[in-house]
Amino acid sequence: MDQPANSSTSNTGAPPEVSPAAAWLDTGSDHALREMHAYMRLTREWDLRYEKMFKTGALSKWYSSVGNEAATVAAASAIEKGDALVSLHRDAGAILRHYVDIESLIPEIFPSNMNLIRQPLGGDSRERLFRLACQMLGRQHGYSAGHERSYHYNHMEPEHGLIHIGMISHLGSMIPVAAGAALSFQQQKSDRVAINFIGEGATSTGDFHEGLNIASVWKLPFILIIENNHWAFSTPTSQQYACDNLASRAIGYGMPGVEVDGNDPIAMHQVMQEAVQRARSGEGPTLVEAHVGRHRGHSEGDDSLDQVPGDELKGYLENDPMDLIETRLVNGGIVSRAWLEEIREKCAALIMEVVDEAMSMPEPEPNSDRSIHAE
Amino acid sequence: MPNEMTIEENVLYIEALSHALRDEMRHDPSVMLMGQDIAGHGGAFKITKGFLDEFGPQRVRNTPIAESGTIGIATGAAILGQRPVIEMQFADFISCGFNQLVNVAAKMYWRTECAVPLVIRMPGGGGMGAGAFHSQNVESWFLHSPGLKVVAPAFSDDAYRLLRSAIKDPNPVIYFEHKFLYRRERTDLKGTEIKDRVVGEANVRRSGKDLTSISWGWMTHRVLEAAEIMAAEGVEIEVIDLPVLSPLDLDPILQSIEKTEHVAITHEATRTCGFGAELAARISDEAIWNLDGPVTRITYPDSPSPFNKKLEADRIPSVDVICDGWRQALQS
Repeated sequence: MDQPANSSTSNTGAPPEVSPAAAWLDTGSDHALREMHAYMRLTREWDLRYEKMFKTGALSKWYSSVGNEAATVAAASAIEKGDALVSLHRDAGAILRHYVDIESLIPEIFPSNMNLIRQPLGGDSRERLFRLACQMLGRQHGYSAGHERSYHYNHMEPEHGLIHIGMISHLGSMIPVAAGAALSFQQQKSDRVAINFIGEGATSTGDFHEGLNIASVWKLPFILIIENNHWAFSTPTSQQYACDNLASRAIGYGMPGVEVDGNDPIAMHQVMQEAVQRARSGEGPTLVEAHVGRHRGHSEGDDSLDQVPGDELKGYLENDPMDLIETRLVNGGIVSRAWLEEIREKCAALIMEVVDEAMSMPEPEPNSDRSIHAE
Repeated sequence: MPNEMTIEENVLYIEALSHALRDEMRHDPSVMLMGQDIAGHGGAFKITKGFLDEFGPQRVRNTPIAESGTIGIATGAAILGQRPVIEMQFADFISCGFNQLVNVAAKMYWRTECAVPLVIRMPGGGGMGAGAFHSQNVESWFLHSPGLKVVAPAFSDDAYRLLRSAIKDPNPVIYFEHKFLYRRERTDLKGTEIKDRVVGEANVRRSGKDLTSISWGWMTHRVLEAAEIMAAEGVEIEVIDLPVLSPLDLDPILQSIEKTEHVAITHEATRTCGFGAELAARISDEAIWNLDGPVTRITYPDSPSPFNKKLEADRIPSVDVICDGWRQALQS
């Protein structure tokens, strides 16, 4: 796969500099790796559960986040209470990282002396996870009360600083909206930031250009993360764009653009931390291009993965971010295979329990009259 | 902040708009303006002249030429507590921001229960020989999009009152202001109550027993002129002006038809699927047994707007064309 190693592209046109990627062993970040891993595993089990339900016909549609966990969990590890998350359909990792305090759901998952990369938001993680499952299943208790599908919803908990704006189906459309969330922070003279995920296909839209241009002209506290899995539905990058990489487009907007290995959560987190810091200090937006693998079809049940040449697909599957981080954890002597298996079982059991509970919840009232206008 | 109101006699329509924006910005610090050339230059029509000095560059923002990006950014900011007012330089340009408006902003509340207090000011309409892309009346595009409110005032006092209400409204409001009226229409601003949202309004501007006329924007002025001519012929037209198209206040229309048994809708927008078609359908649903003739529509033809003023004038319903339309409606 044509995946450059960690490199960055500055807006000065200078040659890419190598970012301090896998320095985690030197900086004592085995804790960071464990934290990333826990949320990645929770996300993987989340997706595997729905993929299974799709196969059995219990679910009509599913878009899988498998393969995107390292990039999304690491990105959301760089934001805090009061920041805005604007997500797409392969960002379960960012949502779960932002919503859930995994220690409260799986006690003793971390050693007691562990220094967390980011603090949880507070509030009831179990309830959030349950409502998220209801949302996925179109139930009354979901965040849109059954009116919108999967990740097409907003969830706000002002008391816990949770600001999450979901997607519409039109790809790229949320870029200006997310930049608008950043504008509201700038107007309020707050140091909060907004992050937004898109796929590489959405970089071809007009909203990518318009949103990034205004965000840079106005120096908005905004980070746009391209999850480049090299395939938009069935369209390869060679038919999507003619430039070498997407991060370098940032030059044209007068903002930094960074290209990073999205399978490496530590490298991704460092890039995001720098971008968030930059945004918080009023220096404006950053474009991040995170390379990830294409592990699944556009949606479950379509045959778009058939378009991916065998060798390329093999490369993606061999670089599964879940396998990579678990190998690092074991090879680094941080945890044992048995412990990883124990965490996997606990995450799977939690997801199973929550999803089963959501399945038993009522469907929306057939005549529910949802208003088109705010009162 | 005080909710001060401009009270002045003989106010131009365009000045009423400036007053409304200024008064609401003084009243509510979350109101901010965005648009092309609105800051130092004061906008293509100078409606925001001087605003940059009074309110500063954070609240009065020039945007790049990016209608979609601007509407998207305003929507995101509105969700999180700002009250953006966008000036489309010309209403026609809204087509470049269509998706953000009809899919993101309009559907946001229904999808997510997050309010989007957003106003888009739309300098629209023809009569000035401005050609196909500076003359259109595109209200139907938005009346067909659930979640949006649509305003089209004909008089300075309505323009002032409804712009302030639109800014206070927690929903996206498309506010059509007619360019032909900017420097022609004058009314007193008397300090009437400002509602905190836009509600349906159908106002009887002239009473009559023979035919109910429905119109909005510039056409209401031509309709009133035509009603004078008809009065000289002994025909009494009841003129209903719709300063708010959506939500629609249908009841006054139905009550009027019960009395007159005849109805004609006049609009400057093109004919097919214009709002007149929807009004005709609604009237048929509710009042067909009260009608003594078909619902008449007097409209622009299904054509773009020509540059040549004479060619354009032939297409916009004139006072004579309106009178003829009514005479035919009354003969049937």
